[in-house]
Amino acid sequence: MKQIFKKILSMLLTLLIVSIVVFAAFEIIPGDPAISKLGSNATPESVARLRAEMGLDRPFLVRYLSWAADMLKGDMGTSYSYNMKVSSIIVDKLPITLVMTVVSMVLTLLISVPVAITLAKYAKSGIDRTGHIVNQALMAVPSFFLGILMTWLFGMVFKWFKPGGFISYKRNVAGFLGYLFWPSLAIAIPKCAMSIKLLRSAILSEADKEYVRTAYSRGNSTMEVLYRHVLKNALVPLITFWGMTVADMIAGSIVIEQVFNIPGLGRMLLTSISNRDYPVVEAVIVLIAMVVVVMNLIVDLICRKVDPRIK
Amino acid sequence: MSLLEVKDFGVEFHDHLTPEKVVEHVSFTLDEGEILGIVGESGSGKSMTALAIAGLLPRKKMIKEGEILFEGKDLLTMHRSELRGLQGDEICMIFQEPMTALNPTMKIGRQVEEALRIHHKDMSPEDRKKRAIECLENVELKDAEAVYDSYPHELSGGMRQRVMIAAAMVGHPKLLIADEPTTALDVTVQAQIIKLLKKLNKKEKLSILFISHDLSLIEQISDKVQVMQRGRIVEQGSVEQIFKDPKEEYTKQLIGAIPEVKL
Ligand SMILES: Nc1ncnc2c1ncn2[C@@H]1O[C@H](COP(=O)(O)OP(=O)(O)OP(=O)(O)O)[C@@H](O)[C@H]1O
Ligand SMILES: [Mg+2]
Repeated sequence: MKQIFKKILSMLLTLLIVSIVVFAAFEIIPGDPAISKLGSNATPESVARLRAEMGLDRPFLVRYLSWAADMLKGDMGTSYSYNMKVSSIIVDKLPITLVMTVVSMVLTLLISVPVAITLAKYAKSGIDRTGHIVNQALMAVPSFFLGILMTWLFGMVFKWFKPGGFISYKRNVAGFLGYLFWPSLAIAIPKCAMSIKLLRSAILSEADKEYVRTAYSRGNSTMEVLYRHVLKNALVPLITFWGMTVADMIAGSIVIEQVFNIPGLGRMLLTSISNRDYPVVEAVIVLIAMVVVVMNLIVDLICRKVDPRIK
Repeated sequence: MSLLEVKDFGVEFHDHLTPEKVVEHVSFTLDEGEILGIVGESGSGKSMTALAIAGLLPRKKMIKEGEILFEGKDLLTMHRSELRGLQGDEICMIFQEPMTALNPTMKIGRQVEEALRIHHKDMSPEDRKKRAIECLENVELKDAEAVYDSYPHELSGGMRQRVMIAAAMVGHPKLLIADEPTTALDVTVQAQIIKLLKKLNKKEKLSILFISHDLSLIEQISDKVQVMQRGRIVEQGSVEQIFKDPKEEYTKQLIGAIPEVKL
């Protein structure tokens, strides 16, 4: 219980630091939201007037504190470029990226666990060696490239989906999921490869333990020993990896959303950065940091559940 | 017919360029309700023999010779699924290290019940639990309900070995193979475990193959004894015969080496 409390405290500290760093970053990088809003041939007076209107003329600390206070109240501010509440923009985009991440994660788990178990069962055989080579190759290919390849193969050659034909979940949920399946798969494949490699070796090192012999002595078959006894023990190191993977997938969506022309959070982040739309960028980054931090806590709780020895 | 009849059993390793014989011409029988003690120096092939009877020797990289007849059927040549049907149900095994022999992430109860889940699928979960608790009580664990719900790391070494015995006994096996079950435990716990095995032997007519290199333990528990050296049986006979009137020089040496203090 005390550890959980400590964890939550360190989570909050992490969020605080992230928010300061993000805020400070826009002090340092060149570019002015007032100029990007008015265009580069605006008069200095009108720029100054707009800056005052946006509150940009106040000192850094004052601006940070008022922004942070608003954030704590749940008010993410107003976008410079869309003249819309940041929260309503995010509520619009977040489900897309979130669904994509969840589908990617589910695919990763569904594929990697049985494949890793099979490779471990036939360790050092032909299947295992072939699996290793394929795995190594897939691990090395970046998701965006897989995305391009899949768009060509499944989209243009087989015509299993319409490239660039994103369908909003508001219009058609099945169509939405059907389209998101492909980018999710592109994100999942390298993560799968990595998971398979880690899980296979975790299973093999567990398989040498004595409780495995006990399990066999009770009449379990090899598959039963692997699924009923070894898997749970081998998952402990993987859970941490998967927790990091979720955060990584959200960050990775920035690129994959470009490839598949998906109007998600990542897409919006890129546009907002180039528009110097600070409120949007800051809110999105704090949101991503929050996901990472919460994932950490969840991972911790799951690890405790799986391995009772963790104090 | 004896419960167990080992005939001219041998094991040869083929994992190196030159094959290595680690067990040769081992023959013995074990009747229902009998306790056979196996003694011998480290590396004499005791564990290999025990694992072979429990069906736990790897299939690859070794050649097994002879026959191991359990109720007349050869364990070495029967189909794997038939062997699995005996493992945990008729033939059970407990090991030297109770610390590592249990699965650390599975509750004791599930592990004790496992043989029932595998071999008695028709049993209801409630009946399984009842039987598991009964077994935990039979091995003299206090507060069996609490033990049932705990994890291995919450128990002491002696308690875990009792749990292993309970898990072995859950399906009323005919043969228990105990490979140095007390070596990792301290002396008082050792004596309790020996007493417990003896009790189960009487109560359930359980046959036990008891392996140890502690001759005083062997003397306390066994009906008959066999002495192994370098993969062979050098002498076998009843406890009285081996301890009062050893024939072989090696056996005399072993007995001469027993420390005077008895438990
Ligand atoms: N994988 C293997 N390859 C080759 N030889 C092996 C292998 N495993 C065991 N041996 C050998 O088999 C012989 C018998 O081993 P076994 O474990 O049966 O001895 P033991 O009598 O049980 O000894 P201990 O009292 O130390 O447990 C030993 O000489 C050992 O070195
Ligand atoms: Mg041994």
